Amino acid sequence: MTAALLDGTAQAIAAAIRTGAVSAREIAQETLDRIEARNGALGAFTDMTATRALAKADAIDTARARGTNLGPLAGAPFAVKNLFDIAGLPTRAGSKINRDRPPSKVDATVIARLETAGGVLVGALNMGEFAYDFTGRNVHDGPSRNPHDLEHMTGGSSGGSAAAVAGGLVPIALGSDTNGSIRVPSSFCGLFGLKPTYGRLSRVGTFPFVASLDHVGSLARSVGDLALSYDAMLGRDDRDPAQADMPAAAASPMLNDRDVGLRVARLGSYFARSADPSAISAVDTIARALKADRVVELAGAEQARSAAYLITMVEGAALHLARLRERAQDFDPEVRDRLIAGTMVPGAWAAQAQKFRRQFHATTLALFGDVDILLAPATPCRAPRLEQTTFVLDGREMLVRPNIGLFTQPISFIGLPVVTAPVWTEGEKLPIGVQIIAAPWREDLALRVAWALERDGVVRAPVARLS
Amino acid sequence: MTAKVFDPEAVVDAMAPLLGLTLTPESRAQTLVHLRIAAEQAEKLLSVPLDDRQEPAPVFTA
Repeated sequence: MTAALLDGTAQAIAAAIRTGAVSAREIAQETLDRIEARNGALGAFTDMTATRALAKADAIDTARARGTNLGPLAGAPFAVKNLFDIAGLPTRAGSKINRDRPPSKVDATVIARLETAGGVLVGALNMGEFAYDFTGRNVHDGPSRNPHDLEHMTGGSSGGSAAAVAGGLVPIALGSDTNGSIRVPSSFCGLFGLKPTYGRLSRVGTFPFVASLDHVGSLARSVGDLALSYDAMLGRDDRDPAQADMPAAAASPMLNDRDVGLRVARLGSYFARSADPSAISAVDTIARALKADRVVELAGAEQARSAAYLITMVEGAALHLARLRERAQDFDPEVRDRLIAGTMVPGAWAAQAQKFRRQFHATTLALFGDVDILLAPATPCRAPRLEQTTFVLDGREMLVRPNIGLFTQPISFIGLPVVTAPVWTEGEKLPIGVQIIAAPWREDLALRVAWALERDGVVRAPVARLS
Repeated sequence: MTAKVFDPEAVVDAMAPLLGLTLTPESRAQTLVHLRIAAEQAEKLLSVPLDDRQEPAPVFTA
């Protein structure tokens, strides 16, 4: 029974614990055993917090025995990308260098909130160094591997998060998304991923990458779990200057509202041009299910991607300049040389990118006057092989690492909320994701659409059968 | 400076010492790859005319 629960949802685990069908300790112990057994193949976890997890689980069992009301995630295991502060651990952010940092004294805000809702933190997850990555490769910790085909990438930079959830190690994992780092691994590993609106969730207690683009969010195997974790993390945190003072409306209660009446369109031109047929076909599948035959143009999408690219180079380089001077040899070379290039990008380009950003924001928001949801591929193709460094898009050979995010970057550039939903094709081992994009602060709409698609069997996120 | 006249090799060789960065030959070669990509991205971005009065995105509230 416990194994079936671990392959299921956080909601089902919490329900079973609430009724006493299983104890939180049994779930925590089985989860830790499963991580021990599977992590060697997946490269998902870099740290386990076993003592803490068992203590938290015992506290939940004690609370239940006393008749205390348990939270919505009671006893549900979760894990976090290793750029989230965990009390007692140095926040490595995928790097060798950060292992010299002192252990964190307190947890990241969103970890504390998930635990308040009853979640049980079981560990920290592998990621691309300093989050500058779309592949899931990491020279220090080894790559995270795609549970649906271990020879393929998880995508990055939240690669360990995706491997852990798709591999059945935890039902929910936290990730961060600067240019696509939740949406890309969700696409490659066949998961639901939510990148909320920029400024929605607190980033306090996370290691930054590009402050003006950094988001945190979650990955899960069900839309219900995605919404539940999002709801638990909502709320004002005055210590994050980018957080907006917006009402924190829970999305879970609205998931099964009728989706009738939502106006859905797919994005054309740029979002069709450089895509593999599998990416286009996935959008077709979802558009057909939603009866969305409209195509709208997101004017300036290509330039938006370019602007996000340049801002990332410049802000990322500024963050790491001192470390590049003093400890260049300790970086992952694939990351280091991109950061070094960023130190040399003319400031005028970055300033122009920020001006374009405001213009693009205004023109894109105007689109939402007569549409509620936009659809676009999450990645240009299914997960490449782990060692692959180039692919051909739009008839041109390109580097994989910098170009996997070409469809995610224009969207996060202006902070729109997105749910990535996984589409499977019969006969294919690997899935591919579609971005379900809503207007700012309308995470609820993107989640509602994804929930309806999951209910109707159009999208799904199964645990991988590890060979 | 426009992207078209941007010379990555000249930039890397001039700026690395000014920034206090020491590049191995391998690192220099990869830095050039990424600066060339940056120049391509800049060319696309700079092709869009922006009004002089266009405000940038970051907002600071005093």
